[in-house]
Amino acid sequence: MFTFVAFSLKRAWEGFWRNALMSLAATATMVLMLLLLAGFWILQAGLQAGLEYTESKVEVVADLKDTATPSDVTAIEDRLHLMPEVKDVHYVSREDALAIYRARLAEQGETDLTRYLDANPLHASLEVKLVDPKVFGDVVEKLRAEPAVDKVKEQQKTVDSLLTITNVLRTAGTVILIVIALIVLFIIVNTIRLAVVARAEEIEIMRLVGASDAFIRWPFVFEGAMVGLLGAALTLGVLFVAADPIGNFMIGFFTVLPLRFGTLTRDIIVLVAGAGLGLGILGSWVSVRTYLIR
Amino acid sequence: MTLSSSPSAAPASVRRRLLRRIGGDHVATDRAVLILHDVTKVYPNGKTALGDVDLVIPEGDFVFLVGPSGAGKSTLIKLLIRDELATRGAVILDGQDLARLPRRNVSKVRRKIGIVFQDFKLLPTKTVWENVAFALEVTGTPRGRIRPAVDRVLALVGLTAQQSQLPGQLSGGEQQRTAIARALVHDPRLIIADEPTGNLDPLISWEIIQLLLRINDLGVTVLMATHNADVVTALRKRVVALEEGRIIRDEVGGIYHRVD
Repeated sequence: MFTFVAFSLKRAWEGFWRNALMSLAATATMVLMLLLLAGFWILQAGLQAGLEYTESKVEVVADLKDTATPSDVTAIEDRLHLMPEVKDVHYVSREDALAIYRARLAEQGETDLTRYLDANPLHASLEVKLVDPKVFGDVVEKLRAEPAVDKVKEQQKTVDSLLTITNVLRTAGTVILIVIALIVLFIIVNTIRLAVVARAEEIEIMRLVGASDAFIRWPFVFEGAMVGLLGAALTLGVLFVAADPIGNFMIGFFTVLPLRFGTLTRDIIVLVAGAGLGLGILGSWVSVRTYLIR
Repeated sequence: MTLSSSPSAAPASVRRRLLRRIGGDHVATDRAVLILHDVTKVYPNGKTALGDVDLVIPEGDFVFLVGPSGAGKSTLIKLLIRDELATRGAVILDGQDLARLPRRNVSKVRRKIGIVFQDFKLLPTKTVWENVAFALEVTGTPRGRIRPAVDRVLALVGLTAQQSQLPGQLSGGEQQRTAIARALVHDPRLIIADEPTGNLDPLISWEIIQLLLRINDLGVTVLMATHNADVVTALRKRVVALEEGRIIRDEVGGIYHRVD
């Protein structure tokens, strides 16, 4: 067993360097493909974070009558907190609402006309965040039944269409990712096959002198793994050099989205290293199969 | 014809030592290294390459396989190394029916055969020593056993002095001797030589034939496919002639062409 592993590793190393040009071509292909994969993954992750952020914004807003007393508000809040669908309830007073409105106007560079008004035209409201934006339960009905509530903003339709869009984007993203992975696999298998064909004579001799399938296959599999790992390392190198520009782009592209770059980085390392290793091994395994004992 | 052939009682090393002591004499034995019984090979394209071939090669025999191109010599050799399977009939090598051999044991059976080709099939980037050692490395032989075995066969074929040269630096005869050393390094029961002198000039060809005869004297059975009429006729060994996939002649002390 030790002889076998030592032999396979030694042969893989020799094989890699004997045909260095071919190995480097395979590695370069691997790097390009992994960059493509990683790039798309980053885009997909950004999109995902954006969708999650948008979803988290979905809420039920109940405008309160101006006659509603603080104790009314507290009572409604308490009842809402008891409902399992409800994640959080946030009270916005009339003054808060005006401040938010003014801030938004200032942000957009519009002239603030509200200061010409004698009274605050806005209502106080309750903003209800749901645990799952798809599950409203009785929240809307319960709020409508409250005497202190003026009207409940019906957001069901907006939410539904938003969720349809996010689901389509998610499915499309997954499909595109799988298609890219398949194309990558195809190209890698073909590149490694070229390297294997270049050594067809050696494989033939191995078969003739009575080498078992394992002795023929594993050196190539290890070599494929080497190409995969080297490719992954180079790809990660490129990505880390490019990390700041990418990060700036992401923040610019998705504006104020709270992207968690820490986990994104870990995911990408796992993805790139795993894909490189897997593709290298799978590619060699498939390529060398033709040459084994029939 | 009886197909039963029990495995040899004595291990290979003992047998070889015994044979060396007898030295030179033709070793008579009732044990067959190779039996072909009613073997027919039809390729998927419908071409019949071999038809009803019966052949028994006893241990220690030296057999010339002759016949025009396309007569079925290559197919026969492919059947022996189980590169192809017979369509009908049995190919029994050293007591094992190749048709019933599990796939994982094919490599073990191939180690009982040493094969030599017209085009040598040496690895150009490895030295003579490494080319021979390669056959042992790829079959999982422990390091400690490789060196003495390689040194021994290189001495046998007379290439000890050239062991660190690359095949490109050798003459054709030396390259073929390297290939023969590689074929021998597993202590095979049978050496198959497929046109081993096809690329060599007559003088060097004789050298190679002499080497194969010496190996045969050590007790290794030799099956040599050849077009070299001079060699076959001069040596008066057993000659098996194939034509259109059938054995048309099988005689001891034969010559290349049929005497009508």
